[in-house]
Amino acid sequence: MGCEEVQVRGYPEFVRTAQSYHGRPIFALFCGDKDAEGRSWCPDCVSAEPVVRKELHNLPDDSVFIYCLVGDRAYWKDPNNEFRRNLKLTGVPTLLKYGTPQKLVEEECVKAELVHMLFTED
Amino acid sequence: SVQAHKEEDNPQTTMEVNGLTPVPDSYDYDLIVIGGGSGGLAAAKEAAKYEKKVMVLDFVTPTPQGSSWGLGGTCVNVGCIPKKLMHQAALLGQALQDSRKFGWQFTEEVKHNWMTMTESVQNYIGSLNWGYRVALRDKKVTYENAYGEFVGPHTIKATNKKGVEKLYTAERFIIATGERPRYLGIPGDKEYCISSDDLFSLPYCPGKTLVVGASYVALECAGFLAGLGLDVTVMVRSILLRGFDQDMANRIGEYMKEHGVNFIREFVPVKVEQVEEGTPGKLKVTAKSTTGDQIIEGEYNTVLLAIGRDPCTRKIGLDKVGVNINERTGKIPVNDEEQTNVPYIYAIGDILQGKLELTPVAIQAGRLLVQRLYAGATAKCDYVNVPTTVFTPLEYGACGYSEETAVEKFGEENIEVYHSHFWPLEWAVPSRDNNKCYAKIICNIQDNERVIGFHVLGPNAGEVTQGFAAAIKCGLTKEQLDSTVGIHPVCAEV
Repeated sequence: MGCEEVQVRGYPEFVRTAQSYHGRPIFALFCGDKDAEGRSWCPDCVSAEPVVRKELHNLPDDSVFIYCLVGDRAYWKDPNNEFRRNLKLTGVPTLLKYGTPQKLVEEECVKAELVHMLFTED
Repeated sequence: SVQAHKEEDNPQTTMEVNGLTPVPDSYDYDLIVIGGGSGGLAAAKEAAKYEKKVMVLDFVTPTPQGSSWGLGGTCVNVGCIPKKLMHQAALLGQALQDSRKFGWQFTEEVKHNWMTMTESVQNYIGSLNWGYRVALRDKKVTYENAYGEFVGPHTIKATNKKGVEKLYTAERFIIATGERPRYLGIPGDKEYCISSDDLFSLPYCPGKTLVVGASYVALECAGFLAGLGLDVTVMVRSILLRGFDQDMANRIGEYMKEHGVNFIREFVPVKVEQVEEGTPGKLKVTAKSTTGDQIIEGEYNTVLLAIGRDPCTRKIGLDKVGVNINERTGKIPVNDEEQTNVPYIYAIGDILQGKLELTPVAIQAGRLLVQRLYAGATAKCDYVNVPTTVFTPLEYGACGYSEETAVEKFGEENIEVYHSHFWPLEWAVPSRDNNKCYAKIICNIQDNERVIGFHVLGPNAGEVTQGFAAAIKCGLTKEQLDSTVGIHPVCAEV
């Protein structure tokens, strides 16, 4: 279906991008950075990404999907990083519906049923 | 695909036409739970553990003011959770006042913003609603946001908010539909008054509020509204906290009165009229005395009705399957295994006749019931010595008999009451009341002075009471209590 995908890296870029799409349903997947071969340092993110991508076609029509790389492992481990502080993220991967309390964290992101529910139900 | 098969057959038409009610010989589900509240969800999740095919139906009929909410039932959405959070908001207001005496300096006047608090509370509730949906989906429990009602043996009709109807069959059912606030039945009640169902998501500050009722819901709400700085009046028909120890109830009332809550005793509203529209608007309440002909009038921004709750059992087709209910109260009588008079239909939670209306009780009953049904367990829910706490500004925790009930059951000469006022250390510095906190235990002289009633009025009463409830379950006696060394300095050491 017609949903737009945007890829961003780091907190400031994420916030700018989310604000620019204000008014449209925004879904975001937060993953650890990828190395030169395109593999993330976060094993759960590696498993979750294909599952999430497979469900993207179920997103409502004018949605925006923001794929956000949060940073390297050291940045993520810092308990005061901006994602933890401002977005209240507790783990990666996190898949959320921006502006709502609806989210899936870590192993929940690997379960197609749950991703489907997040994308399609109110 | 099984559902599609049933819809094509349209068994409902057959049933209604001949008046015969065919019993399906294979079912869509092992268990259908009607009601996704504390009891219903606990039962459904437990059944899923035993690989049973389970469905949960949950539907909230909007209030007269239009309020509605998500999965989780009363406790999560319009009960315990938001109540405790708002109670905490009020306590923090008090703490801010006390803090100056402990050396904190701030010159700005401290004000409360209703919208900020409500938004935070609703956000948290939203995460709980979502969490339940994830949990159910993860455990493969089918959840439908639809109104369930029986249409025939083993068969239920589910109607969603768009009016689409589906039929489902199950081997067993658990009714866990809970209750909703009662209205007065006077002119203007549904048009202008709100209930607890509306209060916790009210999109504007309630302002000057009249709380009608003397239940714990009424007193807790009046308590935190006053604690947030609002002008609050409580209109009481007769006594406070019916069913609770009356000595404790009166102490709670006195404390609230001394701390800014107005009480109008022995009056009932007879009419509510709108003086001004707005959010909030202005309402005029006319009330009549219960002891004479006196009529009084008052103006308030908000009128909150908290006069009782009625079970949601009248419109779920119980007559179609022959489940008995108490016609006067709507409650469902069950045996000690939560079974109704229809063997495959069970009931748990607030709708039960003669049982405590508490979340942990419903959860416990639901879990144990399912374990008996599917895991060969035999343990039954123990409804005796269930601890409870009323979160009025001065909190009240209790477990076991009230003094009146103990006297009635054992005879005044056979019980001994030990009591004491206490002064929390933390209250000494800000010079808060030194004669309000109170604790008492009721002992059965004929049974080794066993503690049969525990009552405490003071900060953190819930936390204090929990441990004593476990002790009482173990048969705590006065001697054992005396020989337990206290923790110092805490309230509980009294």
